[in-house]
Amino acid sequence: MALDFRAVGHKMWRTVASIQTGVVLLILVVIFAAVGTIVLQRPVTEPDEMQSAYSPQALRILDAVGLTDVFHSWWFLGLMLLVSLCIVAASIDRFPNSWRFFSRPYKYPDESFRRASHPQKSLAIADEETGLVAAERALHSLGFKPERVVREDHFGIFAERHRVSELAVYIVHASLLLIFFGTIVDGLWGWGGTLNLNEGQTSNIVELRDGTMRTLPFAIRCDSAGQENYKDGTPKKWWSKLAVVKDGQDVQKKEIVVNDPLLYSGVRFYQASYGPNSKVEKFSLVATPSDGSGQKQEIGLAVNDTVPLDADTTVRFAEFFPDYAVRDGQVYKKSNYLDNPAAHLVVTSKRAGKDFDVWLPPLVEVADNSKAPYQFQASDLKMGHFTGLQVSHEPGQWGVWSGVMLLGVGLAFVFYVVHMRFWAVPVCDPKTGKCSLWIGGSANRNRDAFEQRFNDLVGLVEEDLKTVPNASPREQVASLAGIEARELKLGN
Amino acid sequence: MARAQAQAEQPQPTTGMTLIVMVGLAIAFLLLMAFLNVIKSGNLLSETNLLFATLIFYSGAGALYLGFGVTGTELYVKFASLATWLGLIANTAAVAHRWYEAGHAPFSSVYEMLLSFVWTLAVLTLVAEKKFGVKVIGTVTMPVAIVGVVLMQLLRTEVHPLVPALQSTWLHVHVTLAMLAYAACALSFALAMMFLIQDNMKTETFLAVTSASTLAIYVGVVFTRFEKWGGLSLVAWDPERKSEVFISKGVRLFVNVPDLGWLMTLTLLVVASPLFFYGLARWKKNDSFLTLANRAVFLSILLQVMALVMFVVRANDARYPSLDADGLFPTSLAASPFILSGLVGGVFISLLYLLLLWRRPDLGRLLPSADNLDRITYKTICLAFPLLTLMIAAGAYWANQTWGSYWSWDPKETWAAITWLVYALYLHMRITRGWRGRRAAYFAIAGFAVVMFTFFGVTYLLPGLHAYA
Repeated sequence: MALDFRAVGHKMWRTVASIQTGVVLLILVVIFAAVGTIVLQRPVTEPDEMQSAYSPQALRILDAVGLTDVFHSWWFLGLMLLVSLCIVAASIDRFPNSWRFFSRPYKYPDESFRRASHPQKSLAIADEETGLVAAERALHSLGFKPERVVREDHFGIFAERHRVSELAVYIVHASLLLIFFGTIVDGLWGWGGTLNLNEGQTSNIVELRDGTMRTLPFAIRCDSAGQENYKDGTPKKWWSKLAVVKDGQDVQKKEIVVNDPLLYSGVRFYQASYGPNSKVEKFSLVATPSDGSGQKQEIGLAVNDTVPLDADTTVRFAEFFPDYAVRDGQVYKKSNYLDNPAAHLVVTSKRAGKDFDVWLPPLVEVADNSKAPYQFQASDLKMGHFTGLQVSHEPGQWGVWSGVMLLGVGLAFVFYVVHMRFWAVPVCDPKTGKCSLWIGGSANRNRDAFEQRFNDLVGLVEEDLKTVPNASPREQVASLAGIEARELKLGN
Repeated sequence: MARAQAQAEQPQPTTGMTLIVMVGLAIAFLLLMAFLNVIKSGNLLSETNLLFATLIFYSGAGALYLGFGVTGTELYVKFASLATWLGLIANTAAVAHRWYEAGHAPFSSVYEMLLSFVWTLAVLTLVAEKKFGVKVIGTVTMPVAIVGVVLMQLLRTEVHPLVPALQSTWLHVHVTLAMLAYAACALSFALAMMFLIQDNMKTETFLAVTSASTLAIYVGVVFTRFEKWGGLSLVAWDPERKSEVFISKGVRLFVNVPDLGWLMTLTLLVVASPLFFYGLARWKKNDSFLTLANRAVFLSILLQVMALVMFVVRANDARYPSLDADGLFPTSLAASPFILSGLVGGVFISLLYLLLLWRRPDLGRLLPSADNLDRITYKTICLAFPLLTLMIAAGAYWANQTWGSYWSWDPKETWAAITWLVYALYLHMRITRGWRGRRAAYFAIAGFAVVMFTFFGVTYLLPGLHAYA
């Protein structure tokens, strides 16, 4: 029974660690992600838009299986976890082999390896030492550090470069896991939303992306905000002077602009937008008495301000609609955009003993402008401004950025750093006594370019074997005298 | 383009020099005219003149590369790369001029992106030719560059100042990397196609694929834009503000060009006919239908050219009624750059098929061996993949700086991730499973299809944050 368990476990492990599973999972991710861009997604779509796009029944089915919010559904998260698991398993499965390869480099090729190796070349040499020295020198001139490998009954030369390239793929996989880890941390503990502040306003309530509110343990005050324009009127820069208020104290102040946020205790405040709010800062009017007597007056009002016009007449700025609509004798606010404003003034006259509703513009259904003791003309409307802040708390982003950097390094190693190995082994035939130098090489990628390099090396060794330079390294060689004598003879 | 086209249909020149002399004279003549024009205006290095020079040289290069593709005369290539070099100089100057004038890297509008894309394409063409010896690559890339320059003339925008969200170095890094990555993907696609030619894929398979692609273009145009009574909907264009006309936020105003819809439908049917005959040939196992199919391709080119000409004539600077509002509204070619490039691309795809049909043995001789092409494709993807990775990372970093969130699953982001995954799959299959040859080539082609969808499809079909691009 126990054995069976082990067999099943082993089989499951093999399945999870296999490349097929990885490929199937990645294809599933691709398919569901693509679906998530085609089906309208709840978080970024207005509810009525959803309703007009799909029939109620279709919408119910889509909602039930989570297709209207693919990227936050439990099964997409599960899929990503499976992908992570698969990466981990595949890496664990293959790592020991690679590690052995990395930690114990194969320095002396045995006979069977020599037979199968590609590329390889055998050069005739006078004796073992000559060949080894020639190979050493050629490797030196190519920038390698050759090493003499001495075993009990044989010896050779080994040189390599960029052994770390064998582990590069694990760097890539580890960096992906780090990125996943960061995003998961952000998904669980991170949050983000918006905070709109009017100039002078203080608030600690952020509207999160899902519509709920979050109260911060500190508050943000906007001291002032503004916009700079290009000559053609398009916005060039938005800025806000923000202060962090904690326990009634200003603990931090910063002027933020787009791309330069304020950071306080892990929460970032980004400048995202700027514009007029629906609040009137000052409404300037010219009031003229209806009966033609008296002077024109200029008055300035904020909403709910009351100003006396003469001894027994006052005017109150009752309501303001940035974008109005009139229906059934009622005025409604259509939107918060300053598209189509209307102002409601209440003129109270003690003499007439009643209030007059004055509307600018004169809305026929509700206004009694002509009956009022004063006529009004708008001269200026100064709106207040709000600064739009994006607020976010992303505790996992350090994992993401370090993962990204590691990924860049890993990919550079995977694609552009080649583990190259060269071996040179002198082989002497015991019967004939003739010696040859076997040279072999291997590269873990980019093999055609490597073959060129291998041929260069062989060329250098051949050259070295042919010529008889009086270079100094030879003087170190014990059998030097013999060689020189022989070659001098040949020269003659 | 028109000249390149005329060249393709011309019979083989008697001597190699004829075409060179002709193209050389044409370039000299056009340059002389341009020069006279410049003297009159007194502004030598204006962007218009630089772009004009770019267009002239690239057209010359395109014609010569095509001549090389058709005749296989080595001499053409030398002059073609010379023309490409000269065009590249003018192109570089145009980029530099734009950069200087705008004060930011030229990536903020479709026009500026095209300017950079064409530049990258020309550089990559020269690299592929000199470093890898793929001489015929210009036959594919230069016409694309020419289409790009022509589109630029239409989409020409004044230097726009950058809105606050776009004022970030990371954005420039992001877009530069995107251009490089996409150009590398385009190159890997062209190489994979060439591999399939060298791998003795049947000519009729290419027939099916090219016809299907052209058909897809017309299906796209007719099914989204065909209006009542045979009209074709085009976006209205405000010539003064140089922008599309919006009814309300995000809703474009469409005008109805009468009768153009019928022409497009007719073209759709003719374009579908080669595929129909191909299907018939497969079904009946009768190769005589293939001859019919090839004739149908020829016919479809004629009709496509007609549709293109009619489209250009009708859609350029004219006023048409709209179904959504009263009165006549102007439209311009600049308002429909993607329909235009689709139509031009359709003609171009069909012409490439004809080139293959008529000159297959020569092409086989000119192209590198299948093994080499397979390897170069892989190397190009090895270049594209890290670029894609860095592009996504730079974009995420920028988004985080601007919106406070590095990943928000908006369609463009998601599709960029999908592109990355597709190429990651390719690399895994190739490295661990040893996929070579056809399967790898199909994968490279599929990868590029996803790139195209990410680049164009997402912008025009799926809404999202990337409204700037």
